[in-house]
Amino acid sequence: MRRDDLRPALFGTAIRDRVLIRLALSENGLHVRELARQIEASANAVHRVVIALERAGVVVSRPVGTTRIVLLNRRWYGAVELRALLDRLVAAYPEVRDRAGAFRERPRRIGKPL
Amino acid sequence: MTLGDDAGLVDVAFAACTVLARAGETAVLCGGSAAAYYVPDRYQSLDIDFVVEVGAAPHIVDRALSTIGYTLSTEGHYRHERLPYTLAFPIGPLSIGRDYITAWRTERRGDALLHVYTPTDVVRDRFLHFWAWGDRTALEVALAVARARATDVDTAALHAWVEREIQADASYDASRVARFFASLRDL
Repeated sequence: MRRDDLRPALFGTAIRDRVLIRLALSENGLHVRELARQIEASANAVHRVVIALERAGVVVSRPVGTTRIVLLNRRWYGAVELRALLDRLVAAYPEVRDRAGAFRERPRRIGKPL
Repeated sequence: MTLGDDAGLVDVAFAACTVLARAGETAVLCGGSAAAYYVPDRYQSLDIDFVVEVGAAPHIVDRALSTIGYTLSTEGHYRHERLPYTLAFPIGPLSIGRDYITAWRTERRGDALLHVYTPTDVVRDRFLHFWAWGDRTALEVALAVARARATDVDTAALHAWVEREIQADASYDASRVARFFASLRDL
């Protein structure tokens, strides 16, 4: 993440903004390390943000194998409005959108050509 | 108010709600623990979730719960030295999906009290778990509460709420709604 990033930290910090925007672009959620890699932040920092957002009910995490997948909590009372806002904010974060676009979430059949 | 070593979920929930009420805080039992209150033979939980009114002072909650032996742990829950139940306070407001919850039941046991989701709200809260995440256990619990509290569950209110949720978020899985209401009819 660039230190001279002049975009407003709408949700408190730049990392928090990026975490939420990246999760809004995710269909099935991401584990913390992948989330951190996608937004170019440290896993520790992203982990702290996820814990705070989970405590607030905005995101949820659930175990998948040996990792935990984080995703926006669609049960949260403001989920629809938050997603609409995040969908608008994606335009201000083209690098997050581009990385998300290049990241495949769905499983790929073994042997299928790229 | 003291909790014996054999205190169960309902005993702890009554004690916590009562000491908080005496401290001036309204805490409402919600989530899976509210389901466990209505169908203890079908569902048990070691996590007791309360939502306190927005603006409750943490130090007042800490002090009130310490009188029944619960202290704040590093994970942010309240734990008891001898009892397995943890008390958690998810951040409010009290809501199920997009609906704010402004009414609940107040049960009394002697001079103790417990604010708890109504059976209808427990059913829709558990169903929402199934609806959003496909959690089959939550669906079974929702149906168990609907069966045990058939006369208290407002089916028309459930239908109206589901319609509102679908209008807000059309991506919800309609087949789960159909399955839920078909199961309700078959109870």
